[in-house]
Amino acid sequence: MAEKIETMVPGNVWKVLVKAGDKVAAGDVLFILEVMKTEVPHSAGEAGTVKAVHITEGQEGVDAGTLAVEIG
Amino acid sequence: MIYEKPKYLPGGDRYMLIEFGNEMNLELNFMAQGLASAIEKSRNTGVIETAPCFASMLIHYDPDKISFKDLAKEMQTLIDGLGPSDDIELDSRLFYFPTCYLDPWTKAAVDDYCAKITKKKWDPEFVAELNGLKDVHQFVRVHSGTEYWVASLGFWPGLPFMMALDPRCVITAPKYNPPRTWTPQGTVGMGGASTAIYPVATPGGYQIFARIPVPIWDTEKRFPQFEKSICLFQPGDRVKFVPVSPQEFEEVEAQVKAGTYVYNVVEYQRFSVRNYKAWVKTLDKSQRF
Amino acid sequence: MFEVIVPGLETSIQDYPGRIGFWNQGFPPSGPMDSWSFRLANLLVGNDAGAAGLEVQYMGPTLKFQRDGVIAITGADMLPKLDGQPAPMWESFAVKSGQTLALSFSKVGVRSYIAIAGGVDTPPWLGSRSTFHKAGVGGMQGRALQKGQVVPVAKGTGTPGRKAKPECRPTFATDKIWTIEVVAGPNDDWVDEAGHKQFLSSDWKLSSKSDRTGFRLEGPQWTFTEKAYKKAPENGAEPSNIIDQGYPLGAINLAGQTPIILVNDGPSMGGFINPYTVPSAAFWKLGQSKPGDIYRFKSISVDEAQTLRKKLNSVCSASSIA
Repeated sequence: MAEKIETMVPGNVWKVLVKAGDKVAAGDVLFILEVMKTEVPHSAGEAGTVKAVHITEGQEGVDAGTLAVEIG
Repeated sequence: MIYEKPKYLPGGDRYMLIEFGNEMNLELNFMAQGLASAIEKSRNTGVIETAPCFASMLIHYDPDKISFKDLAKEMQTLIDGLGPSDDIELDSRLFYFPTCYLDPWTKAAVDDYCAKITKKKWDPEFVAELNGLKDVHQFVRVHSGTEYWVASLGFWPGLPFMMALDPRCVITAPKYNPPRTWTPQGTVGMGGASTAIYPVATPGGYQIFARIPVPIWDTEKRFPQFEKSICLFQPGDRVKFVPVSPQEFEEVEAQVKAGTYVYNVVEYQRFSVRNYKAWVKTLDKSQRF
Repeated sequence: MFEVIVPGLETSIQDYPGRIGFWNQGFPPSGPMDSWSFRLANLLVGNDAGAAGLEVQYMGPTLKFQRDGVIAITGADMLPKLDGQPAPMWESFAVKSGQTLALSFSKVGVRSYIAIAGGVDTPPWLGSRSTFHKAGVGGMQGRALQKGQVVPVAKGTGTPGRKAKPECRPTFATDKIWTIEVVAGPNDDWVDEAGHKQFLSSDWKLSSKSDRTGFRLEGPQWTFTEKAYKKAPENGAEPSNIIDQGYPLGAINLAGQTPIILVNDGPSMGGFINPYTVPSAAFWKLGQSKPGDIYRFKSISVDEAQTLRKKLNSVCSASSIA
């Protein structure tokens, strides 16, 4: 049931909406990146509990394909 | 300073910037526009397009058809052929625009800026004071008392940069720092020594004091003036701002909305630099309206 | 001919060389940032190299075809899938009515190009189908593709299985470092010797505040010659202020102390100096780099820049297709 959510674009971390221990439902937005003045929300695919968050709000220059959130 | 010989500067592999001088001087723009006209007549196959600016001209050329060096030679030949700038004559359309000076819409934009960004004096008061004018009413008489020469278009598509033709009406104004985040569409503003009209609502840094209800930009091409382009102006056009009341403004706005507005354009005149300069010589620049 | 199921981050219709002839009214050319990949895509499906196609940025669209056709995808690899099966890159392939093409996101490069045999057939605006969203012209209603739109494509005959020769394709930096050619000018004499040395020997980081209007760079401070300080007051107060002048496409525009490379949708004029200009042959590198990447600039002459352009134009021809 574990899900690894990677960043889909290179960009800045605009908002991080969850922390370790939070329960999330499928479709909940976990964090929002910003690239080319556009917000790119990243959501949970399945319901679960957030195990780890590897990015921080305000972090700049994150690569696409970076492991951002792990859900168990 | 007007350069004795223009400077030919490269812009990458496909552009040339021709500098005629390094000051705001109508003469330099006449030279730029005279050259643009001469290039068009010469049907030079190497030149793709030209864009005159205040004291310079940008040329986009095809390096497969002409080299930078040869292009510079050809341009110098054309410039020599223009003769002294006094000889330059250009077809020049004249637009009359109903203009609401000291209008409530630009005032609201300034008030908003003061509330959200930083306090400043209301733009017409600020500009009047800076230029030693009696009050905002004299500012309106002086600003609207001249024809404006469209020196170039750009920064935003369709946005005209204009210079006062009557030296008695030259006003200068610094730009906002920091700039506004919005400006009403149709706003008339000033920065440095140039006047501009905002074709759509955009951020901006010019001092603002009037508004026109007439579109200078129309993607729907609802009026015959937009048949060839969605942008009304070309460099070399002239503009006269005709002061009207807010009520008249709204009446014209309604005509525009209904599609019944008729543009007031004069299209039989030829602008003669010689005649213009002779006229300027007769004026006492210290005499304001 | 195809329906937009998912639009992607910013997918737009572009053609090459874009909207030409309206610079003096403030219209930039728009068009594809990586015209190398774009032109090869068109040649793969039998179109003219400049025919209208799609530019896909960062995250790709999902498109559903409404009739049979031949398409090709070039540029950044966004792991394209046709009906869930991996689709090839740099190669033309057949699509059938009802099939769905989905592009994901890329790890190397950021812009993909999709060409369809026949070419996108939206109404041209001022001579071009390229999208210029600031003015709301071109493309589909003047903006990036929206969900639910159906994009028209002219009838065309492409041949599946044509490939772009590997040696004729651009290679994208995988170590985040790009060497970008620049030509000094037009305003190079406003920067002093130390300033030039600094520019050409420093690492410049591409800022995330970058898009098709301008690529903002982060790096050291510039230093200027006397010309930048001793000038008529109407030039402006900052050393990098100049009387408003026309901007070449690719100009490295020095707004205060911030260099901004003016790219495809950028402003046509303004009041800042341009000490260097990126030549057309290097634009594809700009088009495939992403925020955080490092630029190292290499000064070349006008002649060298024009030679590079000639070379690139000859690569973007039928001889590169097998």
